[in-house]
Amino acid sequence: MGLGLLICISVFSQEDCRLTFSGKVVDEMGAPLKGATIIIDANLFSKVSNDSGEFVINNLCPGKYKVAVQYVGYEPNHFEIILKDTGLYQVIVMLPMISQLDEVVVRAHHAQTEHAHNLATISTKQLAETAGKSLGETLREIPGVNTIQAGPGIFKPVIHGLHSQRILILNYGIRQEGQQWGAEHAPEIDPFIASNIVVIKDATAIKYGTDALGGVIVVNPPELPEKARIGGVFHTVAQSNGRSGTVSGYVEGGIKNHDGWGWRVQGTGKRAGDYHTPDYSLTNTGVKELNFSVATGFHKPDYGFEIFFSRFYTELGILKGTSISNIRDLVVAMNNEPPLYTTSFSYSIDEPRQEVGHNLLKVNAHKKFLKGEGRIQYGYQQNKRKEFDIRMGGLQSIPAMNLMLQTHTFEGEYELEGDKKQLLCIGLTGMAQKNTNIPGTQRIPFIPNFASFSGGAFGVAQFFMNRWKMDAGLRYDFRQYQIKGFDYKNSYFNDALSFGNVSITTGASLTINQKQSLHFSASSAWRPPHVAELYSLGTHQSAASIEYGLLLNDATNEVMKIEDVAFKNEQALKMIGTHQFHGKRFQNEITTYVNFIRNYIYLKPSGITQNIRGVYPYYRYAQTDALFLGMDISSSVSLSEKIKARQNISLIYASNLSGTGNLPFIPPNRFDWSIRFEEPKEFFLKNFFLESKVRLTTKQNNAPRVIPPDQIINANEQGIDLFATDNSIFDFAKAPPTYWLLNLSTGFAVHVGNTKIDFSLAAENLLNHAYREYTNRFRYFADDRGRNFIISAKANF
Amino acid sequence: MRALPFLIIPLVLLGCVEEPVKESTPEMITKVTLTFTSEAGGPDIISSATDPDGDGVQNISSDGVTILEQDKIYNLSITLINELVDPSSPEYNVTHEIEETGDEHLFYFGWTNNIFSIPSGNGNIDNRLDEISYADQDNNGLPIGLTTTWKTTMGTQKGTFRILLKHQPGLKSGTSESTVGETDLAVTFEIEVQ
Repeated sequence: MGLGLLICISVFSQEDCRLTFSGKVVDEMGAPLKGATIIIDANLFSKVSNDSGEFVINNLCPGKYKVAVQYVGYEPNHFEIILKDTGLYQVIVMLPMISQLDEVVVRAHHAQTEHAHNLATISTKQLAETAGKSLGETLREIPGVNTIQAGPGIFKPVIHGLHSQRILILNYGIRQEGQQWGAEHAPEIDPFIASNIVVIKDATAIKYGTDALGGVIVVNPPELPEKARIGGVFHTVAQSNGRSGTVSGYVEGGIKNHDGWGWRVQGTGKRAGDYHTPDYSLTNTGVKELNFSVATGFHKPDYGFEIFFSRFYTELGILKGTSISNIRDLVVAMNNEPPLYTTSFSYSIDEPRQEVGHNLLKVNAHKKFLKGEGRIQYGYQQNKRKEFDIRMGGLQSIPAMNLMLQTHTFEGEYELEGDKKQLLCIGLTGMAQKNTNIPGTQRIPFIPNFASFSGGAFGVAQFFMNRWKMDAGLRYDFRQYQIKGFDYKNSYFNDALSFGNVSITTGASLTINQKQSLHFSASSAWRPPHVAELYSLGTHQSAASIEYGLLLNDATNEVMKIEDVAFKNEQALKMIGTHQFHGKRFQNEITTYVNFIRNYIYLKPSGITQNIRGVYPYYRYAQTDALFLGMDISSSVSLSEKIKARQNISLIYASNLSGTGNLPFIPPNRFDWSIRFEEPKEFFLKNFFLESKVRLTTKQNNAPRVIPPDQIINANEQGIDLFATDNSIFDFAKAPPTYWLLNLSTGFAVHVGNTKIDFSLAAENLLNHAYREYTNRFRYFADDRGRNFIISAKANF
Repeated sequence: MRALPFLIIPLVLLGCVEEPVKESTPEMITKVTLTFTSEAGGPDIISSATDPDGDGVQNISSDGVTILEQDKIYNLSITLINELVDPSSPEYNVTHEIEETGDEHLFYFGWTNNIFSIPSGNGNIDNRLDEISYADQDNNGLPIGLTTTWKTTMGTQKGTFRILLKHQPGLKSGTSESTVGETDLAVTFEIEVQ
């Protein structure tokens, strides 16, 4: 290629290079695609299509060129052009991506997707096929992404073995701030809001601040329309397991005679009752959800702004059979199958339950200047979480936990475009946050009230050189906490803490040839501790154990100063590389990563305590060094023109380097194999497909040691402290065995006038196999979901 | 650097940390007191188990061996106290709370064989239908167990006396076993009959 460039330069100097290649990029329906990247001869020239999908590339010499057109969620389009003495105009039709192999971030989306090298995308089409599922469950389709579950309805995403405080979720460009410290607190985002979701596997969030030790999840809503044309989507999904119904849709349009203005109104409603396993009902696992969002904006090529508001509200039942107090209750609950309180199907949601509301207001603006583009963004989030437990009589209707988290975020950045070969972006971010226990829970709060203020400054430089794309970034962040709360004996305490550190990232992508590319990045990220890790006090529901924060004294439970404990910030060094092969019939992508985390915070078993309610093991937050290794493989092969076979593999190995036992809840290895028949041509039905998928989840052989709860009770009765000599990590039960599930799906589309309707029918766990998932916290108590039929219809108008 | 004012705005909007409000803790029990009152008169025999720090790490401690006289009838009443609050506070005495929600609560008892002649056996923790002389009732006519009646055995005996309070909302019945529901209290005392 180097030679090719040389030749081109020599041609440049000799001939009249004033030819133009122009055109228009459209989707399969003929609608213009804004922001598609048109690349000529592997980055020799590149352009981004404008609002009407059009582009113009000037100053081309006569000759033969290889053109690649890329757009997120669409199959890349490769072809050749020959320029003679006249220019060329071409309409380029893009087809929606079926595989997730070619995840390309286009320039227009940089504001939301950073300068990442290793990433995976869920396209609009894939989102339609997983419609009705929560965000966490949807993301599980991506190799390298797993979930931590709390029963059949609560899913938290896990990227390369890390979750909660160690990953970052960007909802429409805003850092999602909820009570994510809790393992049973799912992200408060409606997946129907997204047109695509990108998972960045690099440990980098140079633009967004701390915490992205595992990676970043970017939820991208569709671009607002800019022309006066009313359109929309209406989607309805019914599922047999849980007898759930979901209705979602949006209407969008522009304003007549005011090009550039656009608006969208979106909403989702969901109602589900008790899920069931192959053999019994999972009593009290129903869900209610009601979400809506409105957006409006004005866009011209050089400037624009948007205002966005969204509300997410859910009410979730927690499996009633998990309501336990001490460790003896745990023994009983683990032996009860079906769980205690199991009754026949019902839609009612009783205690224990959660009520969560999340409001987001976002305002952003961007303007192009002579030398670059400036962007500013402000977000306000209000997260209200109420958790109701089974409590004494009159207290049942009072939440046992009632928290309100308010977050203001501000981001300002300036992107400086050099001579097309380099890019420099600098910015400032700020976040102010206040977490308040709403009085009246009649219980000592699990975490104290706090306010935090964080700020950061960053710079990222990007270079394009021939077949190379390289970047490097540097960032500094600080976070201050003000804490006020009540300790174990309900006496007041307060403190102020401050943390600060530097993040560095560097990466490179190399286009080897038309078919192959390499991507690599190394990043160092850090995160300040969460208040929950420092000050937690009490029992988590269904945990049958007591948790103490890092700053609580071992012997007295008194709250200590941070100077008095040997605390160090968690710090990750993640190296990740991807090899992509994109042939005509065979595509393959292999990602390998190593993530070394120093001062990794975890819950360490520390002893047994007896109070009036009985015997409890207790855990303290402690620190160790941890290593995560893994590989994500994604491949597909076309067996014929219409039949494609695919596989997705996620392998992960985690090691606790200080030898205090294997880390708990590390996702086991997962293998997905599918075969799909597609008939794109119209004969009777359009876009007919039939897909069969097998998911194999192996046993976690690297799980912590097992101490059954009755062993703890027996030892305690004999006056033996099991953790005095060995306080390595343990689990109450063995990791569940390997299991495999069979899924089937089929669908087709019909056109009624200008409306396209996609129908699909799917069956999950078709063989009704009884299984338990290692990363489901309720695996001690009940099986996972049994067979589920899903019927869905999506109308685009 | 024009962005700087925007960084200050959130601070102004938000202000400082909200002053927390001290919660009452009506569910917290730190002390269980057994009061054995002899039908034949004489001073009450009182024994307590205390948890000094609620959810803290310190273990429960008890007054030592409870000594009862042989072949005597005793009324036992159980008092539940939260010593972490002021005695004048309504949350101090949790016994009322249990009494008011008696239709969701039940005390179970278990003891070393032969400490008592009435009821005989070893209590109803292992089998609900085993005999206990409950002396109180909830709204549905089912026992609660805050007050019970016991007759000690003839001759000297020594053993343990275990008390279990279960919260069984919607599940309490004439046959609900001690494995049903959440545990609100689980304490073991030492008893000697002399």
